[in-house]
Amino acid sequence: MTTNPAPAGAPPAPEPAETDNRRDFLMKVGIGAGVVALVGQAGASLRSLVPNVSYDAPTTVKLGLPGDFPDGLKFLPDQRLFVFRDGRTFHAISAVCTHLGCTVRAEALSRTEEKEVAGKPLRITHRFLCPCHGSKYKGDGANESGPAPKPLAWYELSLAADDGQLVVDLAHEVGHDFRLTLA
Amino acid sequence: MEQRTDSPYPRRDRPVLAVIGALLVVSTVVFAVTDHRKDWRYYQATFRQMVAEKLGAEKAAQIPSGTVQIWVPQLGRADRCITCHQGVAWKGFETADEPYRTHPAAPLKAHPIEKFGCTACHGGQGWAVDADPAHGPVEHWEDPVLGKALGEAYSLATDDKAALMQMNCNVCHRYDRETKGADLINRGKALVNAKGCRACHVINGRGGTIGPDLTWVGDKAPEQYDMSRLSGQRTAFAWHVAHLKDPRSLVPDTVMPNFSFGTQDAQALATLVLSWRRAPTAVDYRPGVARTDPQTPEEVAEEQRMKTGPGAWFVKTGCFVCHSISSLGVKSAAQIGPDLSTAVEDTQKRFGKTVDDFLKNPTGTMSVVLSRQIVLTDAEKDVAIQKLREAFAEHQRQAAGAPGTAVPGAPPRP
Amino acid sequence: MSAEPETRPVPGGSPSAPGVHPRPLWSFRPRSDREAGDAVVSNFLLHWFPAKTYKPSLDWTYSFWLGTASAALFFLLVLSGLPLLLLYVPSVERAYGSVKDIEYVVTFGSWIRAVHRIAAHLMVAVVFLHLVRVFLTGAYKNGTGRGQRREWNWVIGVGLIVLTLFLSFTGYLLPWDQLAYWAVTVGTNIASSVPFVGPEMRELLIGGRTIDQATLIRFYVLHVIFLPGAVGALFAYHMWRVRKDGGLAKADRWVLETGKVETPAGRTKTYSLLGVARGTAPAIKATSLQARDLTVNAVNDLVRRAAIVTLGTFAVVSILACFVPSPLEEPANALVTPNPAKAPWYFLWLQEIVTDTTIRIGSFTINGAFLGGVLLPGALLALLTAWPWLDRSSREAAGVWFARDRRRQNLVFLAVVLVVLAFTVVGTFMRGPYWHFYWPWQPWPELPTRI
Repeated sequence: MTTNPAPAGAPPAPEPAETDNRRDFLMKVGIGAGVVALVGQAGASLRSLVPNVSYDAPTTVKLGLPGDFPDGLKFLPDQRLFVFRDGRTFHAISAVCTHLGCTVRAEALSRTEEKEVAGKPLRITHRFLCPCHGSKYKGDGANESGPAPKPLAWYELSLAADDGQLVVDLAHEVGHDFRLTLA
Repeated sequence: MEQRTDSPYPRRDRPVLAVIGALLVVSTVVFAVTDHRKDWRYYQATFRQMVAEKLGAEKAAQIPSGTVQIWVPQLGRADRCITCHQGVAWKGFETADEPYRTHPAAPLKAHPIEKFGCTACHGGQGWAVDADPAHGPVEHWEDPVLGKALGEAYSLATDDKAALMQMNCNVCHRYDRETKGADLINRGKALVNAKGCRACHVINGRGGTIGPDLTWVGDKAPEQYDMSRLSGQRTAFAWHVAHLKDPRSLVPDTVMPNFSFGTQDAQALATLVLSWRRAPTAVDYRPGVARTDPQTPEEVAEEQRMKTGPGAWFVKTGCFVCHSISSLGVKSAAQIGPDLSTAVEDTQKRFGKTVDDFLKNPTGTMSVVLSRQIVLTDAEKDVAIQKLREAFAEHQRQAAGAPGTAVPGAPPRP
Repeated sequence: MSAEPETRPVPGGSPSAPGVHPRPLWSFRPRSDREAGDAVVSNFLLHWFPAKTYKPSLDWTYSFWLGTASAALFFLLVLSGLPLLLLYVPSVERAYGSVKDIEYVVTFGSWIRAVHRIAAHLMVAVVFLHLVRVFLTGAYKNGTGRGQRREWNWVIGVGLIVLTLFLSFTGYLLPWDQLAYWAVTVGTNIASSVPFVGPEMRELLIGGRTIDQATLIRFYVLHVIFLPGAVGALFAYHMWRVRKDGGLAKADRWVLETGKVETPAGRTKTYSLLGVARGTAPAIKATSLQARDLTVNAVNDLVRRAAIVTLGTFAVVSILACFVPSPLEEPANALVTPNPAKAPWYFLWLQEIVTDTTIRIGSFTINGAFLGGVLLPGALLALLTAWPWLDRSSREAAGVWFARDRRRQNLVFLAVVLVVLAFTVVGTFMRGPYWHFYWPWQPWPELPTRI
C-alpha cells in the first residue's frame, strides 16, 4: 500500500541528482522487499494448513483369522468393506458408493447364483443398494442402475506372514478376477 | 500550480520504512530457514543412502520422506519416531547405528507397532521430531526414553543397561507373575513375594495397612517425595533405590525394616514400584484380562469330562456344537440337531439311507455343514461311522439297563 | 489504486455529477493540498484520516505512537489467529496434542504460534503503556474545541485494557498444559472471592466447579469470537472519538500557544463533513487555514508514519518470534500442582498482593484474595475510570507531558504504576518454589523429577 512508485523517468524530486536517485532507488527496494516479505508471511500462514502428518487410519489392516469369517458375507464398518467367504475362497468389495461416497447396504438375494466373473466362478449372494441416491450394484460390485458411474472397488486380500490373519490393503484395488484361496 | 504544503517528513521517514521492509525480509528468511533445518532431513538422507548402497536404488525409492507418524487413537499417542528411525521395519540393518537399526522382531510379534506405537514401551516424547525433545530428559516432559543412556546415568547394576524400559512393560503386565523378557521386573516381583511386602503394604489391591498403599505409587508426583536427605540424583527412582537400601536414611522415623537389599535388588524393586501407575490402556491391551464369559467350576469340569471322555472325538471334530451324543456323555449346548446316540437307526428313518451313505452323500443342512464348516476326509468319515456305531451300541446297552461302562462319571440321566 | 498523474483531469473539469469524480482523484504522492484532501474523501481505507494534521501530533516522542502500535498488535493477533483457528482443536483430549502438532510438525507452526503469543504479551504491555502515556500527558482532558468528549474516550480506553487482559487470559488456557491449567485455576479463584456472588461467578465463567471441557469451550469461544468482537467494536469507537475530539490533545495546544482567543464558530476547520453545514459537529480552531506552517497533509505524512509503526510492530514481533520459543509444559494434570504455580505475568502483581493481604483479626479472617485480588484492583479500576471527572487541573494541562498543575496527580499515578510494575517483576522473576523469594542471581532449588 505504501509503495506507489512514480512512473519511471518522472522522479518527484525537482533536482534529479545522482545520489538522490540512488537513495530513492534503495528506499524503493526496501519498501518493496517489505511488501514481498509480508506476502511471504501470509503465504507461510497458508502453508501451515497443509497437513504434514496423517491422522487417518492405516490402509493395510488386519481383519482377523480367516476361520473366524462366516460363510457368505461379513460387513466391516471400520473399513467400510464387505468380505465374502465361499469355503476356502475369499474376496473383498468396498462398501463405498462410487457416486458420492455413501456406505452401500447389502441385501441378501432370495436365491444364490453361481456365475462367471472376470473368467472365474463366483457365488453371488447379495446385491448392494446405496441409501443416498439409489444406486444399485450387482453382487460382484458391477453398477446396475442409478447414478453410480462405475463398479464398487475390489481390494487385495492376503494372509499376514506372522499370525495368519486376513489382511486387506485398502490402497490396492484389484480386478474382479481376484480370489484369495487358502491352501 | 496549486498550493502544496511543504513537509519535512518524506525525507526523514521513507528510509525508516525501507529499513523496516528489510527487517521484515530478514525475519521471513530466518523463520523459513529455521523451519527447514530439521534433524530428520539429515537422517532421512543418510538412511536413503545406506539403503541405496546395500539394497539398491530401487529399494531406496520406497522409503517414505517427510514427517511420518504412527497414530494410535486408543492410546492417544502420535509417535513420529519413525521419521528418523526409518530402519525399524527393514531387514538387514540389525547392526547399524541408531537411528537406522532394525527393531528386534520378537517383541514386535506380540506388540505390533501399529497398535502400540513406540513411546508406550520406550518412553520419550512421540510428538517431537527433533532429537533432544524426543529423547529427553528435557524440561516439561517427564517421560524420557528409558534406554541405555538413562540406565548408564543410574549405573544400573544389570547387564542390560536398557532394562529401565521394563517399567513400561509392567504398566500393562503388572498382574503377570512373570513376564518374558522383563527380567528386572520379574526379579522385583519375586522379591515382593519372598520378602513379604504385602505384610505391610497394599499391592495390586491386596495387603496390610501398616505401610502406605503402593497400588498406584508410580503416579506419585516427584515433589511429594521428601528429597531433603537424598544425595545425588533427585529423582523418584533414585529416592526409591536409596530408600529400599536403607529406609531410615531417608525417613528417620520409619518402621520399615532394612532388608539389606543389594544395588541390583533395590533397582529391580524401584523399577517395579515406579511401574505401578495408571495408564490409559484399553482392555484389549491388557494381558490376562478375561474376554470370554466366566464359567462355573461345574461347567469347566463338565467341559473337561466331555473333552477326555469316550465322546471326545465328537467334541474335537465339532459335531457337539449342534448334536448331543447322550450315550457317550456329550451334551450339546445348542442341541439344534438330533441326538447322535441313535444316528445309526435314525438316519435310516429320516433320510432312507444308511449312516455310511448319508455321510458320503449328505443332504439338507448336513450337506452344507460337511462341505463348508466340518470338512472330513474319507478316512475321517470312516472314523465317524465307527464312532457313531460305538455310540449306538452304548445306547442300546444303557437302554437294556446295563450299567454304563464306557461313561465313567457321566451325569445321571433320567 | 492511483491515477496516472499525466492523465489526471483538471480539477473542477467536468464531473459527470456533482461530487462524483470521473476517475480516482487521489494519489499517495499528492501534488497539491487539494489532491491530498481528495485522497481522504475518495479512498475507503484512508477515510478515517483527517485531511490535515497538526505537525507536533506526529512527533515520535509525544505519543510514542503506542495507540497505533496497540492497534497493529491487535490486527496482527487477528491475522496470526486465523491459521491457529484452523489448526487448534478445543477439546480436552485433543487440545494439547494439537498444540504439540503446531509446535513440531506444522510447517511454520511454531513461528505462527510464537507470533500470536508474543503479540499478545506485547499488546498487554503496549496498551498499558498507552494508558500511562495518556494519563501523564493529561490527554483525557478537553482542550479548546467545542463538543469534545475526551473523558468518555478515556473510559472506552479503560474498557479496552480490561478486554485486552481478558483476551490474553482466555487464550492462556487453550494449550491445556500445566501452565495454562493452573494459571487459570489461580486466576478464576481470585474471581470467586468476591463476596456473595463470587463462587457463582466463577461457576458461570468456567461452566462448573472444576476446570474441564466446559471451561475450555467457554474460554475458547470468548477468546475467538466475543472478546475480539468487543475489542474491534470499542476500538472503532475509540478511533472515531479521537477524530470527533479533534485529534490528539496536543493539537489543541496550537490555539493556546499562538495566543489566539476563541473566535465565533463559523470559519472553522471541522473533522466532520456534514457537521460543517449543520454546525453541530465538534470543531476546533481553523489551524489548517490560519497556520499553514504548523500542519502537513495527512496523505501521506500521517499515513506513512502509521505504516512505519504498523509494519515496524510486525517486523519486531516477527523477528522476536524467530528466536523466542513458546513454552508448552506437561499436559494439564489436576492431580499435580506445579511449583510454583503462577498466574499470567500481568496478574502477578495481584498474586503478589494476595499473598500478603490475608488479614486475621482474632478469629475473623479476610481472605487475601478478596482484599488484594478484588477490592484493591476494583478500587483502582473505579478510580481510573472516574479520574477525568476528579482531575480539576486547567485545560492548559491537556496534551502536555508532566504539566505543572497536574504534577501531584502524576506523581501519585506514577507511584502506583511503579508499585504495580515492581510487584509484577517480583512475582514474575523473583518467586520460586513455594512462592519463596529469590534474587535473580540466586539459583532456584532443583526440582525433583520422576526418572
